[in-house]
Amino acid sequence: MRKKPRFHSLKKLKVRQDWSRWTLYNLSRLTPPNVTTKTYFQQKWTAKSNTRAYHGEQIREKQWKRMFRRNLPAVVPMDHKYLARYDGSEQAAGRGAGADTQEKTRTSPMTPYMQMTYYPMERRLDSAIFRALFASSVRQARQFVVHGLVKVNGKKMIYPGYMLNPGDMFQVVPESVMFATGARKTQSSRARRMAERFAKARAEVLAQRTPTKIPSIKVSLLSGSTNTPSTTQSPTQPSPEQVKKSLQTLMEDVEGVLVEDIKAKDKQKLRSLRQTIKKAISVWKTGTEETISTLDSQLSFLKSRLVKQPTSSSSSSPADSEATLTKEEQTKLTQAFDRLKEAADYNANWNKRDPRKPYATPWRSRDYMPAFAFIPRYLEVNQNVCAAVYLRHPVARPGLSEVPTPFGVETGQLAFNWYLRRR
Amino acid sequence: MMLPRLRTSNVPPTLTSCPAIRPQPLIHSPRISREFSQTSCQQATLRRRKFYEWLNGPGAALRHPLPGSTNYLGAYDRFGNLVRARPGWQRKQNAEAEAANTEGEVPKGGEGTPEAQEAVDELEMSVRREEEQKKTEGNQDEDKLPPETAEDLRPFPLNKYFRSQPVLSEELREAIYQRVARDGASVSLASVEFGVSNERVGAVVRLKQMEKEWIAEGKKLAAPYSKAVLEMLPTTPYIDPSRPENKGKRPITHEAINDLIVHPATRQQLFVPVSESRQFTRVDAGKAFDNNLLPADERIPHPELVLAERELVSGLSFQERKNLAEERIVKQQEKKKEEQRRREELKKVQTVSGRRWDFVFQDVSVENVGRDGRSPKGVGWRYGFPHEDRKKGQVKIPTKVEA
Repeated sequence: MRKKPRFHSLKKLKVRQDWSRWTLYNLSRLTPPNVTTKTYFQQKWTAKSNTRAYHGEQIREKQWKRMFRRNLPAVVPMDHKYLARYDGSEQAAGRGAGADTQEKTRTSPMTPYMQMTYYPMERRLDSAIFRALFASSVRQARQFVVHGLVKVNGKKMIYPGYMLNPGDMFQVVPESVMFATGARKTQSSRARRMAERFAKARAEVLAQRTPTKIPSIKVSLLSGSTNTPSTTQSPTQPSPEQVKKSLQTLMEDVEGVLVEDIKAKDKQKLRSLRQTIKKAISVWKTGTEETISTLDSQLSFLKSRLVKQPTSSSSSSPADSEATLTKEEQTKLTQAFDRLKEAADYNANWNKRDPRKPYATPWRSRDYMPAFAFIPRYLEVNQNVCAAVYLRHPVARPGLSEVPTPFGVETGQLAFNWYLRRR
Repeated sequence: MMLPRLRTSNVPPTLTSCPAIRPQPLIHSPRISREFSQTSCQQATLRRRKFYEWLNGPGAALRHPLPGSTNYLGAYDRFGNLVRARPGWQRKQNAEAEAANTEGEVPKGGEGTPEAQEAVDELEMSVRREEEQKKTEGNQDEDKLPPETAEDLRPFPLNKYFRSQPVLSEELREAIYQRVARDGASVSLASVEFGVSNERVGAVVRLKQMEKEWIAEGKKLAAPYSKAVLEMLPTTPYIDPSRPENKGKRPITHEAINDLIVHPATRQQLFVPVSESRQFTRVDAGKAFDNNLLPADERIPHPELVLAERELVSGLSFQERKNLAEERIVKQQEKKKEEQRRREELKKVQTVSGRRWDFVFQDVSVENVGRDGRSPKGVGWRYGFPHEDRKKGQVKIPTKVEA
């Protein structure tokens, strides 16, 4: 049996529709087509072969030929002010009598029709999922569809070749999106090795600076633990930024000290301190699940909290300063706490470590994703729910084409000519 | 090779000769050739060595997101230097960058001056806005990157006609949703106000609605993913007019809202002899191409803008213009209502409720079978017409899904 050719070959320069390092490397090596030494047929053939390796290589050639259209869509942005002031007759007025404009009118940039050859491919469900950044390759997007993880207009759609109509909404299961776009989970053996190396390095660092660092932190912390109630009740009003920063640094310090080796009693104290700080933060965390639905309700909720809180000790810092604060300062304060709450919430709820997940947790984007991250204008994506709307078919406009293709205009033109079937 | 984008100050001593970025040691299999093996050669060939050289050298910058910026191939030169960065610029560590990021977030929304929104052309506008930004914060601090130019937004360096265009920021989406869902503004009004196309306004509202429903149901959102992706992409910020620092600023236009679709009839060149004395307007030009072709004023998505501008030019007072606009809106709503009523009437006629069943009447025509007589819309068993739906090669993919 003949060996299957490599999908990512270094020998044959083929750019594929995925986010791999091979693709990135090939993108950097891509050159304009050689037109000097090749016949026209050869040029067209190579252009076709290269572009088809990128655009829908999972589709058979015959299927693509059926999809191919000679008419390429384009738009021209119009200025409504011009349309209102002129009726168009001024462009030809007096031409026959010899009137001619001397100064050259500004020409708009070329409309790259030839980059639009593969626009029907972008209508396919699988490539739309890839373009919306829900999958790391078209083949993966196709797999999502086939496995029933994709809905179109709220109904399960299992055909990757479904041609989206303008206005169609498609959604992918968020877990699969996080898996597709997230960093890979490391193997447990490798993770163990890494952890060992990391621990060793940290032990070395600690051995160098234990005598100086721990006492200083302890002093600041202990003073902090005794002082938290008193400082908050004192008349000096901490600015919201200060409150936020101090709380955060406190938390970090506590956590930093807890991992190091210290006496049991100190540890207990530190733990209790951590509890109090956490409580201060969590006051803002509780009850948000229901009220988060709109920004307004959230704000009003915070305000009500502010009014309710003045007697409680755990979060008295914003509360008792509230009595003397102006409205502007108050809003600043709420904003600061909002941000604080958001950060705490985010790490606690959304992005925590979870070994059951098929991707590396806490979630981070996979390698080389930023180099491929763009969303064309014919899609409107909501990343929170992993859903997108196919607004319209991709179009060309002066100076821009909406079909993402890694090849230049010359290649696009040659490929288009190939499919015109006059060779 | 990538197109060489060079800036003389940036070109370093050749990166590839640096001992730190030597290629990774690869596994050398002891056997040189395995005659009957199907697996491909595992040796480190020259190509492979070069590949890893590139990955560890110039390609290393593309591995992780650049904090507070996009990170595309087009922004780098052949040696992996960020072209727009100043000579002394260094990539920050993650923690530092995050701190800088949160500080940098606040002024981001406030940028974009009124002058920057005048331009018609989108590209020009963004470039101008960036220049404006550059001027204001050009000499702030060394570590901060200047904003991207159009060239830096190219994910594919060879394709000059494609660049990563900004997406709506979270705040802008929320603002659009609030404007339409809470304030009850019409889609076209919101479109004009935010500089976002009609379809996009509708889509944003639909998606936001879904998001709110998810939150109400307690479903888990893909928050980390959303955060990471929106940081990687260029975004159109929202200028909140209620804020004091945004006074006098107009919203940043996201996209051109009056796009005229190029009609297939106008693709050909046409020579129409016209007498000199004749006023040959857009309407006539449209007729010359195709008898049913309307002029551009009526084919653009926002014809009401043209009408309003025309009234302004004709010198009507503000009150008169307002009255006219209101009249137009009322007329439009009446028309819509009328259509709705007619549709409902049609529906009523078509179903007659019986004692146990509803009788549904459908329009049936012989023409429904289509030109080749094979359309499934035709009714009844047609003599000599075999059903082909079980045959090989019949496509059964649906062509539309009802929303």
